[in-house]
Amino acid sequence: MRFKQIYFILLLLIIGILPACNTSSPTKFNGVVVGISSDVESLNPLFSFTVNEGNISELLYLSPLQFQWDSSKGELIPQPMLAKSWQWSKDSSSITFYFRKNVKWTDGVPFTVKDVIFSFDVYSDPLVQSRLFGTFKSLYTDSSQHINLAKTFKVVNPYELIINFRKDAVPSLVDINIPIIPEHVFKNVDRKNLITYEKNHNSVFDGAFYLKKWNKNQSIILQANKNSFLYKPGNIDRLIFKVIPDYTSRLTQLKQGEIDLMEDIRADDVPILRNSNNLVITAIKGREYDYIGWNNLNPSIYEKSKKIVSNQFFGDYRVRTALTDAINREEILREFLDNHGEIAYGPVAPIFKSELDTTLIPRSYDPGKAKELLSQVGWRDSNNDGILDKNGKKFSFTLYIPSGNPRRQFAASIIQNNLRIVGIEVKIQSLEPEVFFGKMFDKKFNAWMAGWSVPIPLDLKPYWNSNLKENILNVAGYQNHQVNTLLNKIDVEKSKEKRNNLNKKIQDIIYKDEPFTFLYWIDNIVVYNKRIKGINVTPLGAVLHCWNWSVNK
Amino acid sequence: MKKQILNTIIRRIFTSLIVLFLLITFIFFLLRISPGNPTQKFISPELSPKLAEKVKESFNLDKPLFKQYESFIGNLIKGNFGISYTYRAPVLSVIWNFLPFTLMFSLMSFIIQIGFGFLLSFLAVKNINGKLDHLISKSSLMIYAIPSFVIGVSLIYIFSVQFNLLPSSGFSSINSYSLSFIGKLWDHLEHLILPLITLSLGGIAIYFRYLRDNLEDVYNQTFILNLRANGFSEKEITKKHVIPNAVSPLISVAGVELGLLFSGALITEVIFGLPGMGRLTINAILSRDYPLVIGCTFVSGVLIIISNLIADLFKAKIDKRLLKEILN
Amino acid sequence: MQKTLKIWHLIIGLCLILLLIRLNRVINSYILLIEYIGLFFSNYTFAVNQLSLSLIDPLISALMIVFLPIFLFLKRNKISILSSRLNFTAVVLIILTIFFIFAPFVADSNPDFQKNLSVTRLLPPLSVVKVIHLKDKGKTTLNDIGKFITQKKLVVKNIFNESIIFADSVHVDLGVIYFQKGFSTKISNKKLQFKNGKPYITSRMFILGTDELGRDIYSRLVYGARVSLFVGLGSVVISLLLGLSLGFLAGYIGGIIDTIISRFTDMFMAFPIIFLIILILAFFGNSLLSIIIVLGFSGWMSLFKIVRGEVISLKTKDFFISAKLIGLPKRNLLLKEILPLILAPVIVNLVFQYGNVILAEAALSFLGLGTGNLYPSWGAMIAAGQNYLSQAWWMIFFPGITLFFTLYVANNLGKEINVKLNPRLNE
Repeated sequence: MRFKQIYFILLLLIIGILPACNTSSPTKFNGVVVGISSDVESLNPLFSFTVNEGNISELLYLSPLQFQWDSSKGELIPQPMLAKSWQWSKDSSSITFYFRKNVKWTDGVPFTVKDVIFSFDVYSDPLVQSRLFGTFKSLYTDSSQHINLAKTFKVVNPYELIINFRKDAVPSLVDINIPIIPEHVFKNVDRKNLITYEKNHNSVFDGAFYLKKWNKNQSIILQANKNSFLYKPGNIDRLIFKVIPDYTSRLTQLKQGEIDLMEDIRADDVPILRNSNNLVITAIKGREYDYIGWNNLNPSIYEKSKKIVSNQFFGDYRVRTALTDAINREEILREFLDNHGEIAYGPVAPIFKSELDTTLIPRSYDPGKAKELLSQVGWRDSNNDGILDKNGKKFSFTLYIPSGNPRRQFAASIIQNNLRIVGIEVKIQSLEPEVFFGKMFDKKFNAWMAGWSVPIPLDLKPYWNSNLKENILNVAGYQNHQVNTLLNKIDVEKSKEKRNNLNKKIQDIIYKDEPFTFLYWIDNIVVYNKRIKGINVTPLGAVLHCWNWSVNK
Repeated sequence: MKKQILNTIIRRIFTSLIVLFLLITFIFFLLRISPGNPTQKFISPELSPKLAEKVKESFNLDKPLFKQYESFIGNLIKGNFGISYTYRAPVLSVIWNFLPFTLMFSLMSFIIQIGFGFLLSFLAVKNINGKLDHLISKSSLMIYAIPSFVIGVSLIYIFSVQFNLLPSSGFSSINSYSLSFIGKLWDHLEHLILPLITLSLGGIAIYFRYLRDNLEDVYNQTFILNLRANGFSEKEITKKHVIPNAVSPLISVAGVELGLLFSGALITEVIFGLPGMGRLTINAILSRDYPLVIGCTFVSGVLIIISNLIADLFKAKIDKRLLKEILN
Repeated sequence: MQKTLKIWHLIIGLCLILLLIRLNRVINSYILLIEYIGLFFSNYTFAVNQLSLSLIDPLISALMIVFLPIFLFLKRNKISILSSRLNFTAVVLIILTIFFIFAPFVADSNPDFQKNLSVTRLLPPLSVVKVIHLKDKGKTTLNDIGKFITQKKLVVKNIFNESIIFADSVHVDLGVIYFQKGFSTKISNKKLQFKNGKPYITSRMFILGTDELGRDIYSRLVYGARVSLFVGLGSVVISLLLGLSLGFLAGYIGGIIDTIISRFTDMFMAFPIIFLIILILAFFGNSLLSIIIVLGFSGWMSLFKIVRGEVISLKTKDFFISAKLIGLPKRNLLLKEILPLILAPVIVNLVFQYGNVILAEAALSFLGLGTGNLYPSWGAMIAAGQNYLSQAWWMIFFPGITLFFTLYVANNLGKEINVKLNPRLNE
């Protein structure tokens, strides 16, 4: 028995002393720790399908240009990166890039235009299935969307390249600004298995950082590439992405200084964070909005015969307008988002200042007006049961939401309440996201709530063009001939100002038609530790240009 | 005897393989007829619609169902579980990244559960129906009634948020690669304390209940009285007679529990962000990663069957009488 | 003479207390009932149209709250359970049953009722808000239908209420100004309801606080008993039917059917249940019904083993063989010979299974796979409260405690039944 007691005491002593051996504080080092909610699947820009993947892969592999955000105009400004300068031809059908001469891959091989051409080749190769496959519409491609290299590229010297656009296209720098991958590493890899190959081999990089270690599901450790032209002595030499799936743990670690930066912070937590004096609160605005989708078409008829017939509830634009009037968007924005966002009244975010039609104002919450409008269209409570009806049909439907999103659950509850006041019965059903999005794209719902993440630069065609076969993203089944004409005009219009005007006209029409009830633009609240200097959070992201960051010691 | 045991094992393995095969077929078809498809994430405004088509082709999802099954079985015989849709790497190598952690974590929890279960039940039985017994019994019932996620969240709240004593998630700190070997070990242990408590408390309660009732049963039987009357020491009675009799029904329970532990302590892994099989399987199901789901199912199935087999063999060793029961 | 408290004492006592506290509501419900019956004679179609769960609920509760105590009082000596002593398990079970039957009266409001979120969100327990009563805008017709509708508004609680406003504080001077989180609004006397010459302003207390949508946690807790009961009962019944039938088939017929079914069961046990649940939920959606089905399908295995084991051992017993020889049909064999013998372990198993199901439903809600916070299920309330852990501990605490007590009691009950029906252990 005595032995057991001695054992016990020894164990306690060891447990008590060991922690003292482990006193390295995690943040007193020349680097920044970013907390992310899940691990990435690939660090290769070919396969970066999520925002995190895109951010990280662009730190490892440079593109010809980098874009800055001009917040006064709401536009992208191109800046040199791998390309020192560029020159458009007189008729804007081709562009000449002059690349830097001193960029080297981390294995010592110099970067040349061979890498650029090879990248375009691989990105557009159907065997590879890269994320940019099929998007090079302004370049010469063959029938399988693979870029015709001979027609498109002309090598002047290892650092000078001419790119030819198709004669009828409206070329833009955004179309061809892709992260460049090293030709000498990937040229002998079987294209079909490129994605599997990439997982097992630590590649070479030319970016401001290189990959030091990837602990699966734990952390991604990037080390500054001191040979890169982007590196300045005194800036951070390490960038770590720490995987913390649980939101509360992430927040706790942010407060305690174990991580330095975190995105997607909930509005409720902001007041507490304001109290800690070492955190800065900012936001990425205008990239994401929630909406209630009213199926403009009758889903069962569309499913059977692909015929476009107006929806029995929501086909009439006056009903949709009334519904928007009946929903208290301000209350949701104020109570759940704590006003971190703005009421949305169209698909164009307020950050696109030059393309936004500023004459439009959002509808305000007015249930009285809603009741009037509805009764004008024929919806009245004829049998006094509290629910509107028309021709014997009750105004009762199911609103579907994807599960796992507290904001949408909150909004759905309020909306159910709001609509019940005007006499519309709403049942709420939450579906698993996979199932939800499948049915949404198949247009099987009458009503649903979802959100869109909008791309920069602005592109309205995939969402609002009436051709439903081509534009699967037109989930409301919106049909408007005028909008189509305007969208097609934008495709071939070369003048930016004229394009802006066309976009404004489209917004006007959509405002009148009210195909959705646009809810609100949601701020992506970003909080970072004051020790990070030189950081600039724009709608393009928080981690952008992080090679310019430095930390207080 | 040995030949019989060998026979049993072979028969068990054979029937288990059939069960596994049926299971995998069941899951295969269930996955493909349930709504939701793996190419969902390729539909987005920034991607070309042609990409989703191409990806579907490469996953073989455009072929008729039976053809898919055929090629699946064909690959399975060669030992190839296919390529995971989300990780784009062979399924078995993906699982290999997560399995060691789950095995280690489960074994640690298992040992804690059995160890503490034993300890507590002995304490309770020594003082049977007395104050200590009542205290421990009531507490174990209470602990069993608290959902494990409530325990987990409360522990995080107390130890991480309020008192900042222990880390709240993950398996290692970010600077762990710079630590010494002992430092790394301690770092891992620190991260596992709260998850282990969360996972094991329920199990301790279960084992305690079973064992205590069994021990009480055995102690009350007349042959024990006989042994005492014949002058055997308390220690010998306990070691040679009470324990084997009380423990044997426990072993099959333990076998089942161990098997379940192996399939991944899902809730604990989710709360604490641990890189285990539970989270892997759930994410695979939610993202409709068919090959990975089947791979995970297979591995879990194998582990459960193995633990059941080991439990039964163990039981047989302790009591040869029960061997006949198993053979039937 | 020491009077021990018996079960029927408690039930009748609680009913009477409830009756006294909610006398208003009960009387209103009776008036509504009379008017509704009258409506059947005067305007049949309208009456049928009005038939709905939300209407029947308070009416039935009103009837029960008077007749149940009377019934129990009369039968108190005839039904043995009613005369047993009270213990902790019994108290909790009785309280839960009262929640279940009399939910419309026990709860303060509709569990989904929300209004003026800036005032009612995330209020701690025992918070009080001011209620400003507005003048009734609707025109009241004095015929039968009009009277019925006005009465209905008094009894059936809806998820919204247009005739009140919640406020943090109210200032009555020449007019009425109310404050909501720093914003003050003036409201003209024309819109207000008056009582005794002064604007009618009352206050309301939220006993257990409110959640993130301003809903009363106490009411949600009470209605949550119904959800838990339905889910638990439904799943247990499904498990019972499956386990019993498959166990009997396998045990009785034996042979190859036995092997097939046993292997099939092994397959089910080899697959971690939670994954099966997720797959099926993806198929059928997250509704309450699919959760019941899925939980039912996950719990029959242990019951199957028990039934099969008993049937096999019974097959060899003399009385059974003789019963078979006499020529009793299979159904009789099952009902008369086997059921009574396996009743004990089956009931024990079912009670534990009930506890497991409630736990599983809570866990599913936690993982986001449950019905979401739209049905007041205790598990979903805990899951939602997790997001507000540091601001609103009461969102997790109260449903957590009720869940804990329910599970504890379920397990205790199983133990007690086990002891009662298995006399061997009692020595």
